[in-house]
Amino acid sequence: MSKKILIANRGEIAIRIIRSAKKLGLTTYVIQGNREPDAMYLEYADEIISIRENLSDKIIFLNSEEIIGLALEHQIDMIHPGYGFLSENPDFATLCEQNGITFIGPSSDLIRNMGIKTIAKEMAAKAEMPLVPGSAGAITDASVAKKFADKIGYPVILKASAGGGGRGMRIVEKPETMERHFKSAYDEAVAAFGNGDIFIEKYLTNPKHLEFQILGDKYGHVIHLGERECSLQRKHQKLIEEAPSASIDTKTREQMGKLAVKFAQAIGYYSAGTIEFILDEDGSYYFMEMNTRIQVEHPVTEMITGADLIEWQIRVALGEKLKLKQKDIKFKGWAIECRVNTEDPQNRFTPQTGFIERVFFPHGDHIRVETGVKDFSVVTPYFDSMIAKIIVHGENRDDCIAKTLSALKEFSISGLKTTVPFCRTVLRSKEFREATYTTHWVDSVFTTDMLESEDEAMMAALAATITYAKEYLQYSSDSPMFKSESLNVWVLNKRINK
Amino acid sequence: MATSYVYKRDATRLFIAMRDNGDRYKIYLPKESKPIINGEEKDVFFIEHKNNFSSFSMNDVMYRCEITQRDQHRIMVKVNGVEYKFSIESIFSYLRRNLLNKGVEVHADNNIKSPMPGKIVDVFVSEGDLVNKGEPVLRLEAMKMQNEINACCNGVIRKIHVVPGQSIIQDELLVEITSIDE
Repeated sequence: MSKKILIANRGEIAIRIIRSAKKLGLTTYVIQGNREPDAMYLEYADEIISIRENLSDKIIFLNSEEIIGLALEHQIDMIHPGYGFLSENPDFATLCEQNGITFIGPSSDLIRNMGIKTIAKEMAAKAEMPLVPGSAGAITDASVAKKFADKIGYPVILKASAGGGGRGMRIVEKPETMERHFKSAYDEAVAAFGNGDIFIEKYLTNPKHLEFQILGDKYGHVIHLGERECSLQRKHQKLIEEAPSASIDTKTREQMGKLAVKFAQAIGYYSAGTIEFILDEDGSYYFMEMNTRIQVEHPVTEMITGADLIEWQIRVALGEKLKLKQKDIKFKGWAIECRVNTEDPQNRFTPQTGFIERVFFPHGDHIRVETGVKDFSVVTPYFDSMIAKIIVHGENRDDCIAKTLSALKEFSISGLKTTVPFCRTVLRSKEFREATYTTHWVDSVFTTDMLESEDEAMMAALAATITYAKEYLQYSSDSPMFKSESLNVWVLNKRINK
Repeated sequence: MATSYVYKRDATRLFIAMRDNGDRYKIYLPKESKPIINGEEKDVFFIEHKNNFSSFSMNDVMYRCEITQRDQHRIMVKVNGVEYKFSIESIFSYLRRNLLNKGVEVHADNNIKSPMPGKIVDVFVSEGDLVNKGEPVLRLEAMKMQNEINACCNGVIRKIHVVPGQSIIQDELLVEITSIDE
């Protein structure tokens, strides 16, 4: 009898997981709630578990106990959490372990440790991962902070150790302002958290975000599948990702890949994982954190390596050995992923909800579309705004950019606005083409008029005018007042002459 | 006998589309030929117009325009996912509004005077016609030479003071045009 897999997620990722699970001969289960009872992912599963919920209830995909309850009731063998929701919740992984259900991902301890930034950094330091230079412990005196900053170089960032949400954070550009900033960070930290411990770290002014895809099994075999560059972000939300990255050379790629594998091995990592790096303008890179889930942007890696990451996640969870060796991983061409979010890029990316009257996705050999919506789907306010990902493969970076642009041109949707025009603008920008863009691109370069084009505006004006004119001209020919053009003009002339 | 009005355009078919950022499009919609936008005939093919969609092609590029909002003369159009807002006016309401805003001296310099003494051979336009700057409005014979007199601005012919066959002196007022330029 085939094993039963419950996908504790929705949208495009649920469909994506179902695809790999079916390939492995598993029976797929999904959950149908009241928030989107007609969602597209439901059509792809073998079995649907319907639940009754109130809109005031916690979203089912966040409710560990309820999911475990449903899984036990339906004799589920394994649960795939997808991304978001419970995917990096160590308690959920523990619950699965306790109830004899296979959690598809690493162990709960690994999730817990990587989720706590300080522990993750400690473990990274042990594995000789480069870390952003910073103070080992809390600093309580501005003069000590100054001495430290002189050593690591300006600018530096002061962070309250209890901090969060930007409070108790200060960027110090030069030594003269250290005392002032230190004092205000300290005061703010004491006021907000009752704890004036301040850490000091090197501040990267124009960083890039790179991450390495890791795959490991339960027997200590770990490989990496290269990097992705995810520097195109808005408020820490990635919008466009590419693989490989044009910001590092082959030598650096090998170095970073080796470090990533070494780190994953050192902590006994298995399943799919991602090691995030921050890359400075001078080419130095530092470990940021490790994500223990499958990532939204995993398809770009799949496009250039040919590997099915979710299939491997499931195989590893079932206790299989990872047959792929590092030397089997060959990178072919370039891939770019554009996220299609129902957000209005002309209006500060305000989320849009409602009815999709019609949606058309691009098709082609080199195009892969992952989506959870189709014609007549409803975008609800309950879940995130990403409705699709358009992933395009090209022979090289320029070819890939050109192909992505033409794929985006084929995309159309009516009813809601999306980030597609924004993605087009990015792909056309000098910074993206030259691969010099950083995580600050949206804040420092992007303006809404970059979305517009002269010809589009002119055609829009024409369409608006025709719409108006159709009624106006009909009115002017039907109404006796307007029957005679000369009368019309005569009235006008009379007024002008008056 | 005057020749046919080669340049005659129906002023009811001229519209001003004003974008929310202040960009202005003067759009003339002929019955059969291609639209004239800001005085220039555009190579636009009309593909379809149904419900809220209009599709055009210009220079071999397709534009699918969706009317997303409509509030009388205020119209919002989405092209390739980007929205553009317009307020549309007929040329008459536009001129009226301009007139009310600017007062009476609106057409001070928009009169065509005869550059030389001679005889009017032909008048190509009639009152209420729309002309583009530089388009001939009448033909004048002087010293056995025929000269075309051109429109001094984009606008509507307000008044014609001469008829074919009439003799004129230098600086005589021939035609008054209400400018639709800024």
